[in-house]
Amino acid sequence: MKDIITPISEEVASSLQIGDMVGISGYILCGRDAVLPKIVALYEKNALSELGVDLRGSVIFHTAVSPAGVGPTSSNKLEIESSIAPLSAAGVKMHLGKGAIHAETVKALDEHNAVYAVIPPVTALLGVRTLEQKVVAFPELGMEALFLLKVEQYPAIIAAAHGRSIY
Amino acid sequence: MKITLQEIREKVAKTLVVAGSTFREDKKEAYRQAIATEDNPQAKWVLETILQNAEAAEAQKSPLCDDSGIPHLVLDVGTQAVLTGEMIEAIHQGVAEGLRRLPGRPMGIMGDDTQRLDQSGGLDPDSAGVLPAPILLRKTDGDNLRLHVLMFGGGPAIRAKTLRVFHKHNAQVVLDEIVAWAKEAVAQLGCSPCTLGVGIGRSHFEASSLMLQALVEGNYARQSEMEAQITSRVNEADIGPLGLHGRHSVLATFLKVGPQRASGVRIVCLRPCCCFEPRIASVILQ
Repeated sequence: MKDIITPISEEVASSLQIGDMVGISGYILCGRDAVLPKIVALYEKNALSELGVDLRGSVIFHTAVSPAGVGPTSSNKLEIESSIAPLSAAGVKMHLGKGAIHAETVKALDEHNAVYAVIPPVTALLGVRTLEQKVVAFPELGMEALFLLKVEQYPAIIAAAHGRSIY
Repeated sequence: MKITLQEIREKVAKTLVVAGSTFREDKKEAYRQAIATEDNPQAKWVLETILQNAEAAEAQKSPLCDDSGIPHLVLDVGTQAVLTGEMIEAIHQGVAEGLRRLPGRPMGIMGDDTQRLDQSGGLDPDSAGVLPAPILLRKTDGDNLRLHVLMFGGGPAIRAKTLRVFHKHNAQVVLDEIVAWAKEAVAQLGCSPCTLGVGIGRSHFEASSLMLQALVEGNYARQSEMEAQITSRVNEADIGPLGLHGRHSVLATFLKVGPQRASGVRIVCLRPCCCFEPRIASVILQ
C-alpha cells in the first residue's frame, strides 16, 4: 500500500503504476455529472479562479455527497469521462471513480501526467475516514455540488497511468 | 396477541435499517471463502475492503453504499393471518421512518409525470421521499405476517434485463442465454462481485416477481445445480471484483423457476446484484 498525500506532486504522479494499491489522505474534491461540466466550462473560459480552490495537484472523486455518505459513480458516464482530459490539463492529478474508461481518456491522462484510480464503493468505511466536508462551489446543485473533503486513507487502486489501463 | 400499528411501524423501520446496513451471515461467509481462494492481489484486496465496509456499516447502523436503494417489500401472509389496509399503511410509514433513520440518500424526484421523467421537479430533501415499490404478497402456512425488505440500487437496475428466450425445448438453451447476459451485465456493472438474481416465468411481471422471490429465498451456502453452473461459467470470464480481474466475478446465483406455459418461449428476468446486494432483512410482524 502506497500512501498518497494531497496535493499530489508531479514526481508522485509519475511514480504511480497500474495495479498500485494506495491510501489517499488530505483534501480531495468531490463532483459528478452535474458539476464537472461546469468546472470544465470555467477552465475553457480561463475563469477557474471563480471556483475558489486550486486544482493543481488535486484529486477529484466522482461522487455525490449526501446524508447517506459518499461512494463512486461510474466514471465512464459521458459528462464525467469527458471532464477527465480538460481537468487533467487544468492540473488535476488523480480522478477517482469506478469502471473502465476509454483508450483516448487513458492517453489524455498520460499527456498530463495524471492517473485514474478506482475506489471500492465502501460508503461506511469512507464515512469513518472522512474528517471534514464542505461545499466549495455551485451549492444550488445540492448533493451534486462541488465539495471539499478532508480524508484519511481512502483506499484505491491505480487503474490507468502512463498510457496503460488495468482493464 | 394482536400487534398494534405503532409496533408494526417500529418493526418495519428497524428492519429497513438492518437491510441497508448489514450483511447476512451466509453472505459474510461467502466473502470469507472468496478472500481465501482469490489469487489476484488487487481482487483479494477489494474483497477484504468490502467485508471491512460491511463490518463498519453494521457497527454504525449506516448505509453499506451511498446509493442506499429503493425499498422493495415482500409480505408473506399466513393462511390464518389477517391483513388490513391500516396494517399496509403502517408498513409504509415504517419504511419512511426507516429511510430517515438509515439515513437513505434523498433521491425522490418531485413533480408531475413530465417533471419526474426529466427531473425538472427537483429532489425531495426528505430521505422518506423515496417511495417503496408495490408490495408483493405471498400466501404461506400458519398465522404469521412475515415481511422481507430489500433495498435495490440503481447500478444493477441499469444492467438488469427482462426478455423472452426461445428455449428450443432444451433448458440448457435458457441457461446459456442467462450466462451470456450475465457476462455482459457484470462486466458493465463495476461494483462486482455480483449475486445474480434470476426469475423465469410467463410474463415480464411474473419473471420480475420471481427474481425478487429468488433474492428472498436465496442462500450462499445452498446452490442448486443450475445456480452453480451459472455462477461457475460467469466466473470463467475473469471480470473480477470491480472489474480488476480475478476468480470472483459472481459469488452466487439465486434462481427461481415459476410455472411455465405450453409455448416455445420463456420470460427471463436477470438482475446483476452489486457487491452489497441483496440488501435484505426480514421480520415477523405478527
